[in-house]
Amino acid sequence: MRPAGVLRLALLALTAAFLLFPALFAPMLRPLAPPNMPVIYDRASLSSLALSHLALVAAAIIPSALLASALAILVTRPAGAEFLPLSRALVGFGQTFPPVAVLALAVPVVGFGTWPTLIALFLYGLLPIFENALAGLTGVSGAVRLAADGMGMTPGQKLRRVELPLALPLMIEGVRISAVIAVSTAAIGSTVAARSLGEVIIAGLNANNLSFVVQGGLLTAALALIVYEALGMVAEAARNRLGLPAEPASRPAG
Amino acid sequence: MIEFQSVSKLYDGLAAVDDVSLTLERGTLTAVVGTSGSGKSTLLRMVNRLVEPTSGRVLIDGADTASVPPAQLRRRIGYVIQDTGLFPHWSAARNIATVPELLGWPKAQIRARVRELMEVLQLDPDAIGPRRPHELSGGQAQRVGVARALAARPALLLMDEPFGALDPVIRGQAQADLRRVQRQLGTTVILVTHDMAEAIRLGDRIAVMREGRIEQFAAPAEIIAAPATPFVADLLGEGDRAFRLMSLRPAREIAEPGAAEGPMLPAGSSLAEALAEMIWTGRDRLPIAGPDGRAVGVVRRDAVIRAGRPEAGPE
Repeated sequence: MRPAGVLRLALLALTAAFLLFPALFAPMLRPLAPPNMPVIYDRASLSSLALSHLALVAAAIIPSALLASALAILVTRPAGAEFLPLSRALVGFGQTFPPVAVLALAVPVVGFGTWPTLIALFLYGLLPIFENALAGLTGVSGAVRLAADGMGMTPGQKLRRVELPLALPLMIEGVRISAVIAVSTAAIGSTVAARSLGEVIIAGLNANNLSFVVQGGLLTAALALIVYEALGMVAEAARNRLGLPAEPASRPAG
Repeated sequence: MIEFQSVSKLYDGLAAVDDVSLTLERGTLTAVVGTSGSGKSTLLRMVNRLVEPTSGRVLIDGADTASVPPAQLRRRIGYVIQDTGLFPHWSAARNIATVPELLGWPKAQIRARVRELMEVLQLDPDAIGPRRPHELSGGQAQRVGVARALAARPALLLMDEPFGALDPVIRGQAQADLRRVQRQLGTTVILVTHDMAEAIRLGDRIAVMREGRIEQFAAPAEIIAAPATPFVADLLGEGDRAFRLMSLRPAREIAEPGAAEGPMLPAGSSLAEALAEMIWTGRDRLPIAGPDGRAVGVVRRDAVIRAGRPEAGPE
């Protein structure tokens, strides 16, 4: 197995071990906890927090991906081209707003809990997915598009058979970027009572327990890395399925 | 039969194609020649409605193309473009199967048709079929592009600079293949090119375009012998006219009975080739071979030169 594969597997195993048997790691974290305080977060199991953390990310990024992709498809159609500046502005606006500000603004409207975080992650995820889908769709060469029209594909057939398959690897890359950002941002959601690993960090800060802060922080970082690697593998698989060279290779001579 | 009836295409008030009327006979190969920006590609794309005429009509066998939905029309018309436009995520075989798939042919029939076409175009179905376009050479990709255009047996084939990206050796082969396949299938072909030599070599008739208008529409020999405008003459290259004309006529036409020394001229040689051979080997008389490879007569230098004058041309 290649070194990268070994590292991935080691990361996954270590993270799983920490989530399932945190007590094993207690001796290492003990020096960070104040005397007579718990070393491992004990108000909820770390594994259930990690799962709800991931569920939060998925629940925000999947609709974000659907909307951003739909927008990218719309603005690359002849009839929708005039909506490109508007769509750019819209998803750009979502990105400019700091998630913390979205949380603060959303709480008075939808209350504490999961919703403010979902909204923040959803908005924050739009831009990378939209821009990547746009790059993927507009990256289909003019000759290929002309050929698709010239062969007698309807606009829908051209989209499904040619444009989307060719844009797919870049679209997945966009989802990958958004998902990784969302994993780290979701931790902040715990300030408004979303269930995530952020809860552990916040409890640690409140109780002056550095051990909590470190385990919450490390686990969040590990989740982000795992999501990054996993979606990277999905993108790679999509590229392979297309049979495209990893780098655009020049045509062999003759 | 393709008829352009007073066809114009305006872009921002400027005419890319300006009131063109042309009638192309069924089963012929018409070469449309012009410099870039002459409107030749636009004219071609109005046949399969990739470009809609601003005014005028295009008729195929008497039926107005505007009355057929574009996708349906295009599936009946073969289309080959310069950069091949092969779908990079599909194998060569799947690319060739594009239009039959759109038409909903049964799978077995598509497979058989793809094999048949690959053999006609001298592509090994088992070796080349599964390859992706980026794994093909330029010549192979070009032939796959032609096979894709011919897959659903169109009676009409549109070619937009189909050989532009090929090197000269492969281009010559591809041109010969096109001529052979076109004769074999009786397809009507419209070929757009900026290369007058290609037009002369391939065209039954040549339409010369400039600034959206047809400057001359005639058989190659007539274009060479009597260019209608200075632009047509320019495109021909004045200095080469005699050789271009001589390259069109077979040397057999002027063969006389008799015998001569030295290596024989092959059966299909043109006047230009006969003259070149005389200059190269310093001979005045060449024996010429018949289709069976045996000498059938003699070609004399003064006869060759006389036949190269326009008034002695075939038309």
